[in-house]
This record gives sequence, C-alpha cells and structure tokens, in this order.
Amino acid sequence: MKRETRLIVISPLSEITPDQITRAVYAMGHEVTVKETCYGALLEGPPETVKEVMDDLKKMDPLGIYSKIRGFPLGDPNRCRAQHGSRPGFSQLQREWQDLALVEKGLQCALRGEEAEEDDDRAPMPVKELQRICEEVE
Amino acid sequence: MKIFIDPPNSLILFDLVERFGHEPLSVMATIQERVDNLEIDMPPMNVTLDDVKKGLDYAGIEVPSGIRGRLAVWGPLIDNAEAAIIMEDAPYSFGCVGCHRTNLLVEFLVRKRGIPTLEINYPHEEGEARNMVIKVKEFLEGLQ
Repeated sequence: MKRETRLIVISPLSEITPDQITRAVYAMGHEVTVKETCYGALLEGPPETVKEVMDDLKKMDPLGIYSKIRGFPLGDPNRCRAQHGSRPGFSQLQREWQDLALVEKGLQCALRGEEAEEDDDRAPMPVKELQRICEEVE
Repeated sequence: MKIFIDPPNSLILFDLVERFGHEPLSVMATIQERVDNLEIDMPPMNVTLDDVKKGLDYAGIEVPSGIRGRLAVWGPLIDNAEAAIIMEDAPYSFGCVGCHRTNLLVEFLVRKRGIPTLEINYPHEEGEARNMVIKVKEFLEGLQ
C-alpha cells in the first residue's frame, strides 16, 4: 500500500500546540499514524487520507499550520534520532520554522490583496556608479 | 500544474505551492519513492548505481560526484516541471547540507528549459517576506 508521510509544522506565531494537532487527528478517527514532535507533528497513512486530514487540520489555523512531504517513514532506522540515524536535517527545518512567522505575515498581506513593492536590486547598475566604484578601488 | 521548487526540499515553497492549488515537485517525494520501492540500503546515500549514470545527463563527467548525484535526483524533476520557482540565497542551501555548484547548475537547467520561472530571494525580514509571498501568489494564480 502506498504511504505518504508529512511533516506538520506550526508557525511560531500560532496559538495551536503540537498536542492539539495530535488530539485532533485522533479525534478524526482516520487510519493514520500521528507522532507529536517539538515543531508540530508527523503524519503517515494512505495519500488520500493524509490529504483529507491535512485539509481538516489547516482549518484549525489556516495561516499557522504548514506541511511538506517527508521522504522517510516514521521511525525509519536510517533517520530516527532515537536509533542514531545518520541523516542530519533539523538545522534546515529549524531555520524555516523560525521564518514561518515572516511567511505568515506575508500571507496575511497577500490574502488582503496587497501588491508587491518593486525591488530594484536586479536592475542593471548605472555606468556612473560602476565608474565611481572603479575609481575608489584604484 | 507541476511546479519545480528550488531549494527542492523547502518547506516554505512546498506549502505555498500546495496552498495556491498546484503540485510541488520536491525531492522529498522522490526520496519517498526510492525508500519504499528501491530499498536504498546504503545509508546515508540516497542514490543507486543507475543514478550515477543518470547524473551524466545533467552534468559532465568532470563534475564532482556530489553534484552529479544530486542532479540524478533533481534533474528528472526539472524535466517534468511545467513551471518553476527559484528561491535564491536560502541559508541552508550552502554549507554542510547544501551545494552552491548544484544550485547554479539547477538554475541553468531551469532557464534552459524555458518554462515560466519566478526568481525570488529568501526572506530575512517582514517586508521581504511580504513581497516574496505576494509574488509567489501572483505567479501561481497566473499559471493556466
């Protein structure tokens, strides 16, 4: 049977707790496995059921709950820290978890229909500016 | 539509692409398939012997094996993509868990395909995050 494993990550701004997530999943009564973690939860089951559960979970806090697929199944001996798994990866997740606070605020602006500001850092450098830098280096 | 995301394991991009109704092409899904079907039995490696040859489709023989190995997994995702979002300067895409040369080659391969591509920077403060999310939303909503 095909499985899908998902990382559920709660934004630092959200008032939802990992415990609430796991309890909500249990209460839904689907045949999925859920494991509470410090950043949220891990969810595993058939892809259609996992999608259904994720859709319901996101209703709890639409801008505060994020998810992505995880390659390895729950408790995989190659990955699980409890069994000295060999694959590092939490450093990335930790950084993205911190920045979810920014993304959440960005999403609020986007859903309000605000427009992006023009950023000119990709514009070509004016010749005079280049000349000034060259003269400074000389 | 199938959207290639770069970095291909980004939580932020994966969630945003799904949130706005498209299918993110991520490295996690590929690894999931490999773990379940191919029985990767050489941890911490995620590639098979065939992948070593497949990597040559995307990078020359003189390119370091780490780059070819990454491209063996990421290259087919770029081939299948109908659009792409490249997030530059992600802090974790360089250093012990990243590879800058691979990032450059991935950008090159995406541009070479000529698919609709959005290039954004990793947000470090609220204003940048606001711009990034709005651009992603507009880009994804504009795709047919």
